[in-house]
Order: sequence, then C-alpha cells, then structure tokens
Amino acid sequence: MSSANEPLVQIEDPSRRDALRSIALAVTLVAGGQMKLEAAQHVHARARDEKKKTGSYAPKLFNDHEFKTLGRLAELIIPADTVSGSARDAGAPEFIDLLASQNEDLAAVFTGGLSWLDAEMRTRYSVSFVGATAEQQTAMLDSLVEAEQTKRARAALGQTYEASEHYRDFRSYGTYGAPGLGPGVAFFGWMRKMAVDAFYTSEIGIKDVDFRGNATLSEFEVPKAAIDHALKHSPFAG
Amino acid sequence: MDRQELMPQVRRSPEEHEVVVVGSGAGGGSAIQVLTEKGIKVTLLEAGPMLDPAKEFKEHMWPYDVDHRGAEEGGAAYFGRGKSFGYFTTTSGGWQLEGEPYTVGEGSEFQWFRSRIIGGRTNHYGRMSFRFSDYDFKPYDRDGLGTNWPISYEDIAPYYDKAELFIGVTGTKEGIRSAPDGIFQQAPPPKAHEILIKKACDRLGIPCIPNRRAVITRELNGRPACHYCGQCGRGCLTASNYSSSQVQIFPAMKTGKLKIIDMAMAREVLTDGSGKVVGVSYIDKRTRQEKRVRCRAVILTASACESARILLNSKSKHFPNGLANGSGVVGRFLMDTVGFGLSGQVPALEGLPHYNSDGIGGAHLYMPWWLWDKHNQIGFPRGYHIEIGGGYGMPGIGSFHGQARRFGYGMRLKEGVRREYGTTVGFAGRGEMIPNNHSYCEIDPNVVDKWGIPVLRFHFKWTDYEWKQARHMERTFAEIIETMGGKVTGLSAAEREKEGISVPGTIIHEVGTVRMGNDPRTSAVNGFCQAHEAKNLFVCDGGPFVSNPDKNPTLTINALTWRSCDFLAEEMRKGNV
Repeated sequence: MSSANEPLVQIEDPSRRDALRSIALAVTLVAGGQMKLEAAQHVHARARDEKKKTGSYAPKLFNDHEFKTLGRLAELIIPADTVSGSARDAGAPEFIDLLASQNEDLAAVFTGGLSWLDAEMRTRYSVSFVGATAEQQTAMLDSLVEAEQTKRARAALGQTYEASEHYRDFRSYGTYGAPGLGPGVAFFGWMRKMAVDAFYTSEIGIKDVDFRGNATLSEFEVPKAAIDHALKHSPFAG
Repeated sequence: MDRQELMPQVRRSPEEHEVVVVGSGAGGGSAIQVLTEKGIKVTLLEAGPMLDPAKEFKEHMWPYDVDHRGAEEGGAAYFGRGKSFGYFTTTSGGWQLEGEPYTVGEGSEFQWFRSRIIGGRTNHYGRMSFRFSDYDFKPYDRDGLGTNWPISYEDIAPYYDKAELFIGVTGTKEGIRSAPDGIFQQAPPPKAHEILIKKACDRLGIPCIPNRRAVITRELNGRPACHYCGQCGRGCLTASNYSSSQVQIFPAMKTGKLKIIDMAMAREVLTDGSGKVVGVSYIDKRTRQEKRVRCRAVILTASACESARILLNSKSKHFPNGLANGSGVVGRFLMDTVGFGLSGQVPALEGLPHYNSDGIGGAHLYMPWWLWDKHNQIGFPRGYHIEIGGGYGMPGIGSFHGQARRFGYGMRLKEGVRREYGTTVGFAGRGEMIPNNHSYCEIDPNVVDKWGIPVLRFHFKWTDYEWKQARHMERTFAEIIETMGGKVTGLSAAEREKEGISVPGTIIHEVGTVRMGNDPRTSAVNGFCQAHEAKNLFVCDGGPFVSNPDKNPTLTINALTWRSCDFLAEEMRKGNV
C-alpha cells in the first residue's frame, strides 16, 4: 500500500469502503434471504447518532460541583499537552456520569469517593478539591498514588511467582505508609481507570497513541522502516 | 415410545424429514453443507435465533461510536458482567446462560461455554486451523497413555483437503511432522514484533511459521478476500473468514434443501419399540411447547457436552442408561485444552514508526510443537503449540489499565502509554491433556433448566501431566521474551491464568464425551461417528474425539463431519439407513 518513505497516514477512502460494504451486502443478501439494506445501514446510523455530543452536557447523576471535580480530576490524570487534549476534553466526565447514572454500585463509588476527597482536602487545606491550588491537588493525588503503590508492593512480596522481574520492581517502592487513605485509593483507582478508558477510546486518544488500523486494505504489508527499527534496537542487530 | 397420551401438549409434526441436524456450529454447518450438496433434505434444530450479520456485526465501529465506549450499560464490563469477549464481538454465547444452568461437582472447577445462535461458536472462534499429526491418532502406541483412535491420519487426510479447500485456510508448506501441511491460501507477511519473535525462536530451536487461520486472502466461492481489519471476532461482513453460519448455512438456505427450526432446544432423541431412532423431541423456546420431528437419521452436532447431555437424557426401555450408552462412556473422558499465557514488554519495539498492524486478525505466525521425539527429556507426555499476541491493537476499555497502575497519573502516565503502546508481546500455550477418570460430565439428578430438561454436572481435574506442561510453557515463553531483549510482565498473566494453568473449560475446546472406537464396549460411536447402537444416529462435534491434541479442534470437526456425511449419504443410498 505504501512505501517505506511515505508517511503511513490512514486516509479513509470512502469509495473503497462503500465497495466493500456492497460486496458484504451482496453476500449476506443472497445468502440469508432476510438481510435488509436498511439493517446494514442501521449500525452505522446508530453509530453516528451516538457519537459524543459536545457542547452543553447536562449531567444525569452528578451535581455541578461533583461534575466539575470529575473534570478537574480527569485533566490531572491525562493532561493536555502539545500533542493532544486532556481526558476532560475527551469526554471523561460525561462517560463516567452516563455509566454511573445507570448503575447504583458505580454511582456509590463516585459520589462517595468525591465526598471523601473533599472531606480529606478540607482536613488538609480547609478547601474543597476544585477550590484548592494545583499544588495542593497534586499533593493529594501523589499521596494516594504512593499509598496505592505501597499497598501493591506489600501484596507483591507475598507472591511466590518468581519468574518475573515485575515483582522486584514493586519492592523498590519502599514501605512508606499512609494510614486512612484506603477509601481514597479505591476511589482514585476507579476514577483513573475510567478517565484513561474515556481518553483512549476517544478520537483524541486514538490519535494520541497513533493507532492506524480499522481500515480496509487490499494487501497487508509491514513498512521496512518498522522492521529495520525493531531489528536495529534488538539483540539481533548486526 | 409414544408419550402422546401422557403429554397432550406435544405437537407431532406430520412431515417426515430426511436428516435432522441438532446444532449449527462447525459440525452442524459441515453436515448441512455436505448433505444438501448431495440433494438430501436437512432440517436443522438450533437452540438460538437466526443470525443477522448486517444488524449484529459491529465490524469497523470505533469505541467512540457508542457513548459507553464498549463498557456497556452501567459499565457492566468493569464488573465482569459484559459480553464474553467484549461489547464489539459478535453474538456468540457465554459461560453462563440465563435459565440454562449446569452444576459442578464438589472439589471440581469447570466452565462450560455455550452458544445459542445460528453458527454457534464458529461466529467468534479464533479460527486456528491445524491438522492433527499422524501420531496424534495413535497416542497410546507412543506413550501408553489414553487410547488410540479407530481411524488414522490417512483416513482423514482427504477430508482435511476438502475442508481446507472449502473454508479457506492460510499457511505454508513446512514439512514439520507435528503440523502436517495442508492446501493453503497465501499467508500474509509477519508483523514487526513477530519478526523479532521468530529471530528469538530461531536461536532457541523452536519452529516459528506462518499461521494457519480460516481466513481467505484470495477470493473463494464468491467470498471476497480479507480486507485486513483484524476484526474477525466482531463477525466479518464480507464473510472473508470461516463461520458455519455465513460460509455453510446461508448458502445452503438457497438450495431449498434446508429447513431451519430456530429457538428449538433439543430434549431427547426418540426411538421406537425396536430401538431404532425415529426423531427428536425439542422445546420450542418461543411457546415453551414440546414438539417432535420425525426423520430417517439424526446427527447430533450440539457440541461435545450438549450432545452427551441429549444422549444421556434419551432414556427408554431399550436404552436405560441413555441412548448410545450401553458402554457407559457417554460423558466420560471429558478434555479441555491446557492453557497458559505470559506477556512481556520489548524495548526494541519502543519508538517504532507506527503502522497498521491489524492484518488477518490474530497472529501471522505461530509455533507448532517441536519436541515430539524428546519426551524422555522433558518429563511430560504430549505437547503444545504457541499462539502470539502483539501489535497496535485498537484501543478499548481496559487497554491501558496496566500503565494506569504503574505510572500514577499526569504526563508520566500519558507519556508512558505513548512509549509502551504496541511494545507488548504475549504468548499463549495450547496443550494436550491426557483423559482421566476424574474428568467427566453426567446428568445432575436434582436440577433441570428452564425448559425442564435435566442439566449436566461436571467433574474435572488437571493432573501432574498438565501442570508440568504448563510450567514448561512458562519457562519457554520467558526464554523467548528474554531472548528478544524483553522483560516478562508476569503478574497479569498469573492473575489471568489462575495459579498458572487455565480454568478447565475456559479454552473452549471441550471434547471426548461421546468417544469413538471399534469396540462397542468401550466407545459410543464408530470411526464414522455412527452410534454402535443405532445405525441412523451420528454425533459430529467434539464428542467423538478420543484424544485432544494440541491442535484446536474445529478443523478436525469439519473434516470428520464431512467424512461421516459422505458415509451416511452412501448408507442412505444403499438403504442401510
């Protein structure tokens, strides 16, 4: 498809896609006898309809303060930089609000966790999370991450699986203790994994990691530049 | 055996069917294809609904095309309640089906994956298509364990040819005894990480060859060639991969020889006063009525355990232990594949210029078993093959949870994901277990499903043979990763493969419960998958497998079914059935 020197930008070729789709329809139509053109288009119409609605989003579950806190946490977890936007830009607060509004367990994780976070911030700094300075916010998150990694390091020491270097890595985190942060660690775990998921499943995040697939190709080729790079940096170089 | 008076609600169809096929996966699809091509009328009973690819397949959708991004309503995927292989995979089934339970004996662990849809598990399966080796059919002769098959490689080879030509399988001629060559579609070139894996394997003396998958890279029978989106598991709108639904059943529908009765849950195979099979009784799931179809021959292709269940539930005066079970072997010798997985992070792949690595879905290379003549040195019998993971997968829910845990948050996390994306390789061992007396299924005397049909109770145990094999896999994978200059990231693998070996049933290669043999005292069916006790009853799924070699079972089910149906058609022509 592309030579090694060409940039491998995936340009969607609508005519090619349409051609494939009509082949697909031809196959399924003659075969099944009950596949309808409208049915095939249904998936794609639904996809378009369900695309992220930008602009004014009215939270289904969270109040304004909670929703704002989610937004701030999201942009601290995946910040904007020169390459791409933040997890907030990628719709993380909307994503969390939608799913939590459909699931009481998840709602409790977030409403409880956000409330815990504000209470802890007031104890430390006499201010809510969103009202605090960036330094105070990151100091809070740093202590949660530190507590989390200490907890995991302890758990890892109890493992008997020795073939992996991974466990030794954990030991280096040390044994810094952080009593009382358990609920915050659990909440931050949820907040972070959902912010990460929201970011990397968005158009922004998929572009950020430079995913080039989900295309239709007539031949599969691996660019020479990729192979050369891998070999050059491997133990098989030279 | 007429229960008309006792069960006034039973509707008996006045129509006489030629062959009734129960189940529509690899066996059912192949039976339908072969028999309808010969002009024989087939009626299919499928326990699920019709499959509508145009409506159900999510091929080419982006995660952001749905608001939940694939986490499903209420974030079900986060709670382990999402679809078995993720939201975007095609409809296929699961380990737990609403209203259709199974039980597990004390001290055992077993998970039973079932599909309830036209095409069954072929809609989602991995499409690895490996021939058994000559030695796989005579395992007892080699190590004194298990039992020989009543057939040999030479018996099935012509049918491997037919199956490969019809469904389309990629590959190359290699001349490796453990992985006999077939008739192949052109294999795609290896991906960048696979080139490193092959180099590592070359150093370690492990063969690493083009993968053999049921995907077509050239047009075949009107099916267009693969367009390399790598999304086989979502269902292929162009039918460029094999599924019995799209490749065998839909075309058969055009012949006028196939009648499909969907939402039909088979209860039992019916016999007459002389012990001859006369039809099948089933529950119409839409009305919860019991109905019957009468026919000349029955082929059970309901999956190994479901077929065993139907036979065990087919009790009558003639067959007090269930049909085809005079030997008592139905349900015994249950086997799954031994699974173990390990992954590693490979620094040589960092900074690689990204490319579209989707390919034909699944790896482009694999490693067949290589130590078949070294068993006295390795300390366990039988072997395994290795499947490869890696490349730039489409980001989805959970793709970067590992980095999230390790990199904290902020730019460190964002940059960490950028650096590591596409630099992980994974290895999955798929090995052969030895059938044992602790692994079987039987009818649970106390439980019925929502259709009133007695359910299966499973018993299962891995033995030392399997555990030793799994540890060998682990050492081998670690060696390959380290030879590539990579680092094992073992925790997730150890977590996933609980305690270092797969949970029985989770590889979804369960076979052996209706095993074949020449001796009616120790087997249920003969080498043509024909019941010793009833000439017009066949079982064409994983049930008749005598052993479960380290080759995924589907291609062999295709080939065995083809052979059995050639035999059945001939017997029908001669008037023997």
